Amino acid sequence: MVMNPLKVAIVGGGPSSFYVASRLLSLVPLKSTQQLRVHVYDRLWSPYGLVRYGVAPDHPEVKNCAHKFDDAATDSRLKFFGNVNIGGPTTSSPSAISVPIESLLAKYTHLVLGSGCAVPVLHPELPPSERCIPALDVVHWYTNHPSKPKTPPIDNAQHVSIIGQGNVSLDIARILLSRPEDLRQHDIPERVLAHLAKSTVKRISIIGRRGPYEVAFTAKELRELLDLPGVVMDPLPSDILQPKEGMKPTRQQSRIVSLLQRGSKEIPKGPSEDFKSWSLEFFRSPIGVVPTRHSTSSNLELSLAHTTLDPNNKAVPTGATSILPIDLIVTSLGHRSEPTTHWYDPGLGHVRNVSGRVVDGGGNVLKNVYTSGWASTGAKGVLATTMMNAYDVAQTLLSDARDPVPETRSVMNEDIKETTLDELPEEVKRGLESSQVITHDTWKRIDDEEVRRGAALGGKERERMDWTEVDRYLQKIRVA
Amino acid sequence: MFHSVSLLVLRVTLRRPLNPPESVTRHGHVTRPKPGTGIKVHFKDSKGELIKIIEGNEGDDILSLAHEHDIDLEGACEGSIACSTCHVILSPEHYDLLEEPGDDENDMLDMAFGLTDTSRLGCQVILDKKLDGMVCTLPAATRNMFVDGKKPTHH
Repeated sequence: MVMNPLKVAIVGGGPSSFYVASRLLSLVPLKSTQQLRVHVYDRLWSPYGLVRYGVAPDHPEVKNCAHKFDDAATDSRLKFFGNVNIGGPTTSSPSAISVPIESLLAKYTHLVLGSGCAVPVLHPELPPSERCIPALDVVHWYTNHPSKPKTPPIDNAQHVSIIGQGNVSLDIARILLSRPEDLRQHDIPERVLAHLAKSTVKRISIIGRRGPYEVAFTAKELRELLDLPGVVMDPLPSDILQPKEGMKPTRQQSRIVSLLQRGSKEIPKGPSEDFKSWSLEFFRSPIGVVPTRHSTSSNLELSLAHTTLDPNNKAVPTGATSILPIDLIVTSLGHRSEPTTHWYDPGLGHVRNVSGRVVDGGGNVLKNVYTSGWASTGAKGVLATTMMNAYDVAQTLLSDARDPVPETRSVMNEDIKETTLDELPEEVKRGLESSQVITHDTWKRIDDEEVRRGAALGGKERERMDWTEVDRYLQKIRVA
Repeated sequence: MFHSVSLLVLRVTLRRPLNPPESVTRHGHVTRPKPGTGIKVHFKDSKGELIKIIEGNEGDDILSLAHEHDIDLEGACEGSIACSTCHVILSPEHYDLLEEPGDDENDMLDMAFGLTDTSRLGCQVILDKKLDGMVCTLPAATRNMFVDGKKPTHH
C-alpha cells in the first residue's frame, strides 16, 4: 500500500536515530513506489552521539555499530546534517547553526526526537566547582567533545572520589588508573595522554548510597577494573556481600557479587607503594563538602551520611556520619534530556511519550511525532536496548502512517509532494552553502583524516580533530 | 535433492536494501555448502514459527550465517563480544554439546533481553557436524505496545 510521501526529520544523530533511520530504509525498499526521505540532524559536526562521545577509548569494539550507520548513509534517501542545533545557540557545540523547530515542522511530514540525555544530574549537596565536576565533563575531556570542558585537575590530586556506582564511574576509574602506555594505541587524544602521564592520582573511592546488589554497573566493567595491572581493590567485608534475608539474587547480581568476592581475596604481588588502589564504598551518601580546614594533605572534606535499605530497597540515613578526606570529586549520577527539548517533561527528565508517540503538555498525542532512545526512555540501557527501542519506533511510525491513531493533534506538514520532498529548511541550505553544515560525505573525509593522523602517530586508532582543525582541513581539501 | 526440500520462507518485515551493506562481509565471510551436504540449522522467530532452514559449513558462526541468509539477527559489535544483539536461543540438546561460554560472553549475556538457560551469542556458536539439525530461535524483541492495542502490520 503506497501512502503519501514520508519525509522524516530526526533530531540527534546518535545510535537511536541511526537505528530508526536504518530500519525505516529497510522496511521501505529502495525500489518501492513509496516515497521516503530521512534527514538526520545533529548539533555536533560529527554523527554517532554517545558512540563517539560516550564510549570509553579502550572499548573500540563497541563502536563497530557505527559501520551499520555508515551503511545506512549509502542509501540516497538518507541525509545527515552535522552542526545543526534544533533550537538556539548552544555551548555544547559552538560551531552549530541554529534552526528553530518550526522549520522542521514546516518542511517534514514526520519528526523523531532522538537527542538523548545530555545533561548530567547534579548532587544537591555537591555544587560544581574546580574540584567537584560532573562525570560528563571527564568523558567529554577524553573524547574531545566540542563543548571543550576544563581539564580535570588530576595532576594535583591523589585521592579521587566518584559519586555513583554505574558504568560511567567504572569507565572513569579505569581510564584514570590505567597505565598511559596501555592506552596510547586507543582513540584517546594526545593531550589527554600527556595529562594522564602527569596524573598524581593514587586512589579512587567509588561511593554509592546502596549496596553490592543495587549497583548499576555491569560485570564486564567490574572485571576490567579487577584485572588492571598494578591496581588493587580494597577488600570488602564478607557481611556486605551477603544477600538480604529472603532475597533471590538475579544472574547479573550473583555474577557481580562473585567478582567482588574474588577481588576481595586477591593479594597484590609486589611492594604496596607501586600499587594504585580503588574501593567501592557502599551505603554512603554525600551530605556536603568543605575545603580542608586543617593542614592535611587533602584538599576537601566530604561529609557522608551512612545509609541502610528500607523495606522498599531505598537508601535511608541511619544517623551516623563520617568524613572522607578527598582531593577531587566526580559526580556520576545519571543524565536527563536538555530541558529545552520540545515536549520535555521535567518530572520525567526526558520527552513525554507513550510507546514512542510524543504527548504534549495538554496530554494530546501528537500526530507523526515520535521519540526514540534515551530521549524517550531516560538515560538507561545499553546499545541493544536502544536498538530494540529504535526498531519499535520505526515500526510504529510506519504502522501509524498506514493506520493513523485516532484523536491526535497535528503539528507537522502533511502536504509534502514530489516537488518538496528534498527541500531543506532555509537555514540548513545557507549552512551548507557556507560549509558550516557537515554532510555525511564530508564527515567520512574527516573520519579518514582522523584515522590517518592516528596511524601517523604509530598504530593509533585515530587522532581526533576539533572544529578549528576540521575547518582548516576542509578548506585545504576544497582548494585541492 | 535440495530443490525437493520445501523451504518455508516466512515473509519477514525486514528486507535487505538494494545495496547490501559492507557489514555483511565484515564478520566472517561464509561460503554456502553444496545443497544437501551442509550442517542444517533451523531458524525460528520468537513465536516459534520457522523462518527458514539453512545449511552451513563447519567453522561458520551463527551470526554470519544469519546474515548470509537474510535473517533478522543483529550484530552491532560485529562479533567482538562487546554487545548482546546477536543473542539466540538454542535447542537444549545442541546447547549441551557446546563448550561453556567464557566470562566475556557471559558478561554480555547478562544484559540480553529474554535470556534463557540455552541462550548464547550467535557470533560465538561455531558450527560442527554434531550440531546438524540445531534450532536457533530469535529472542522476543521489546513488547510492541500500542496506545490503541493494534499490532503492526507486515509490509
